[in-house]
Amino acid sequence: MSDYDFDRVNVLVAEDSPFIRSLLVNSLKVLGVGNVFAVEHGGDAIHFLQRVKNEPMKVGVQQIDIIISNWDMSPIDGMMFLRWVRRHKDSPDRFVPFMLITSYTEPERIVQAREMGVSDMLAKPFTIKHIGEKLISIIERPRQFVHNAEFFGPDRRRQKLGPKGPERRMLTDKSEGVEIIRG
Amino acid sequence: MDKKKIVVRFYRFPNRLKEKTAGLAPGKANISTEALEAAEAALNKMSEDYPDWVSGLLVKLQEQHGRCVDTPEKRPEFFEEINHIAHDMKGQGGTFGYPLITKFSDSLYGFTIKRPGEITDNQIELVKSHVDAMRAIIRGRVSGDGGEIGAKLSESLDEAIATYEAG
Repeated sequence: MSDYDFDRVNVLVAEDSPFIRSLLVNSLKVLGVGNVFAVEHGGDAIHFLQRVKNEPMKVGVQQIDIIISNWDMSPIDGMMFLRWVRRHKDSPDRFVPFMLITSYTEPERIVQAREMGVSDMLAKPFTIKHIGEKLISIIERPRQFVHNAEFFGPDRRRQKLGPKGPERRMLTDKSEGVEIIRG
Repeated sequence: MDKKKIVVRFYRFPNRLKEKTAGLAPGKANISTEALEAAEAALNKMSEDYPDWVSGLLVKLQEQHGRCVDTPEKRPEFFEEINHIAHDMKGQGGTFGYPLITKFSDSLYGFTIKRPGEITDNQIELVKSHVDAMRAIIRGRVSGDGGEIGAKLSESLDEAIATYEAG
């Protein structure tokens, strides 16, 4: 089995605590991530992504491959940032893998993040092992994106499980009203 | 133009990130053991600096506490700063072996969140109790749950909270 080469990967980190920010940046760099950009909160992160879109040469990066953002930040928190990335017309990539870091692990919080289109969550306090596992999950198990009237984001079904009762899902890939888009 | 109404779109893209990191070879790759070990070592190195970093913030908290005592009319402003410092502290104590710092700074963060009403002397005392408890942890390098000392510190802080909140 070969090793990942993260050298060409660009990661954006949004974290307001200076100590944790440098911890994250350091860990990613030591793991071999080629480019790590760090900002202090969601507002700065949005501003940064706008610059990546408008003046990539100046920023020195064409595309951010993974976003890792704290949830609890002010004035713009991680959820607002995620909302912007997934839904705003100025977002440079609405499909970018987005990982939220949080010390809130109550189920309703996780559901809230999932409904907003989060790709993965990293619980605080985290370890290097956790970071590594999440990176592998993002690379190895990307999910299709779903867009309907209520939702836009990575498929909320992670596993292919059959229904417990009779099949009540109405739509298949072939159904009218279903459009498959392949990049 | 389009006869059928689209109710759902599925976007299925090629896995560019995988291509970028593992090439086109099939099968799962790994994060190299050396990289993981190096990252762990870097984390451990940072852990050594953690008590110093906390000490620095505790000095700042102490200063804000002093200002609250000296200039009561500006307490809301100082409390905001205390709240901000507590927020910075509470995140990652567990990773660096100091879960009690996370616990106590989380408590400090909780009761210094902006709310209407006057900030009482009791609340100022409670700030001090928190700072003192965290000082004791760092001074004694009380890591983990701190065993007996940790339990005692938690207990006396809980007592202080109960006393001052009742008052």
